[in-house]
Amino acid sequence: MDAVVSTAKLNSNEIFDLMKQFITEVIGEEFVEEMDITMESSFTKDLEMDSIEIVSFSEKIKAHFGEQIDFTGWLSNMDLDQLINLNLGTIVNYIEECQ
Amino acid sequence: MAKFVFIVPPLTGHINPTLSIGAVLLRRGHEVAWISLDKSLALRLPEGGQLLLIEYDESDQQKQDSEKYLDIITKKIVYGIDSIKFLYEEVLIPLNRHSYEGILTLLDEFKPDLIITDHQMFAGAIAAANKNIPYATSVTAPAAIKVMDELPKIHEWEVNQIVALQNELGIQSENSIACSDLLTMVLTSKAFFGEMELPSNYQFVGPVIHKRAGQTAFDWQKLEQSEQPKVLVSIGTTFDHEHKKSFFAKVIEAFADEPLTVVVVSEPSLFEEWPDNFIVQRNVPQLELLPHLDAVVCHGGHNTVCETLINGLPMVVVPIAYDQSHVAGRVVRVGAGLRLNFNRFKSRHLKEAVEEILNNSDFKEAAQKMSASFEEAGGTETAADLLVQLSAVRYVEVLNN
Repeated sequence: MDAVVSTAKLNSNEIFDLMKQFITEVIGEEFVEEMDITMESSFTKDLEMDSIEIVSFSEKIKAHFGEQIDFTGWLSNMDLDQLINLNLGTIVNYIEECQ
Repeated sequence: MAKFVFIVPPLTGHINPTLSIGAVLLRRGHEVAWISLDKSLALRLPEGGQLLLIEYDESDQQKQDSEKYLDIITKKIVYGIDSIKFLYEEVLIPLNRHSYEGILTLLDEFKPDLIITDHQMFAGAIAAANKNIPYATSVTAPAAIKVMDELPKIHEWEVNQIVALQNELGIQSENSIACSDLLTMVLTSKAFFGEMELPSNYQFVGPVIHKRAGQTAFDWQKLEQSEQPKVLVSIGTTFDHEHKKSFFAKVIEAFADEPLTVVVVSEPSLFEEWPDNFIVQRNVPQLELLPHLDAVVCHGGHNTVCETLINGLPMVVVPIAYDQSHVAGRVVRVGAGLRLNFNRFKSRHLKEAVEEILNNSDFKEAAQKMSASFEEAGGTETAADLLVQLSAVRYVEVLNN
């Protein structure tokens, strides 16, 4: 059996760190250093990510978890208000539940 | 000869292409009018063009409303996905609702053979459908019709806003009729628009470039004396003072005393002093200027991006709001430039990005490829041909009935 690392169940702190890493990859390390990223950080207002950046963030999650989590499917069901209010905590919870 | 009427929102980027197409139609002997809320459009129309002004005289309140819509879009600082909500809820839907009755009255008076309505002037399409007059649509901000596969609900939400207004104004359809089934002209090339299946009523006619009438004064001497690379920096007409000030402060920090000549489109009074290697003007003759330049820094407005690509120039795009993030995404995707985040970028990033697009010829080559795709799409004359053909087909249909 292929026991690859990514199938190991992550706790919410580990997921949070991983998400922070993806955000860093999308917007750049030096910007992240200046930000106080928490579970409450919203993508639009706090992280100032636009739609294209949110999409590249979601592609990183997809690449990491693969079939295990239908992240893009979940995201594509979000309406405009949900996207505007989307915060890191919501994503961490979703991934934690899906594992 | 046919009678055409363009229905335009009070947004420069949406109006300018119609002025060029209208000029060609007038030159070919047709009658052409523009329906708008903006009185000042009369001064910009091509010779022979008529302005049909949306006017209400019943109450002062309505008059005041008309004026409110002329610059509403410049008044608020909006960013990212939030800006889409603002655009529809506070600008487009009220603007269209306000314009609708006036459009109906003007259509009754002018009796056009064909209406060409902007894709964001849904009231034009609704009025055309209710009056049973054929209409074409001009898509001046093509990103608006693109559905993001990953975030499809954004587009769905936009369509829902339009459909609700349609229902209110008597069109019982669950689909948006903003884009005409007869002819929807998308003012870009397929290569720049990107992969997406669209029905055959969508025609990619390429960008329609608008040459302003008259001369805009420019310090050509200073530009020509410079042997350094020349860069244009412009963030368009729709953003307010504070946005501009923070942006240009970073531009100054990035390029002051660098071996570059920087042409900035801004009120010179924005700062007390500008660096010596800057040429700062409120207006520049952008089309005449671009062939003399090496690169462009812009906010991703569709018209400026297209004019830059037509000249085969690489660019750095710093999108602020609305569809600009998308346009910037396309520029990066086709390899013609780099993007920076408007709120986050620092002067150093701008400096590095401009150096990179100037030094790596791949960017320029990609821009030249887009230029070729635009030329192939046809532009203004092709757009005019399609409209004339459509009006002729309709004319024959009327005769046969």
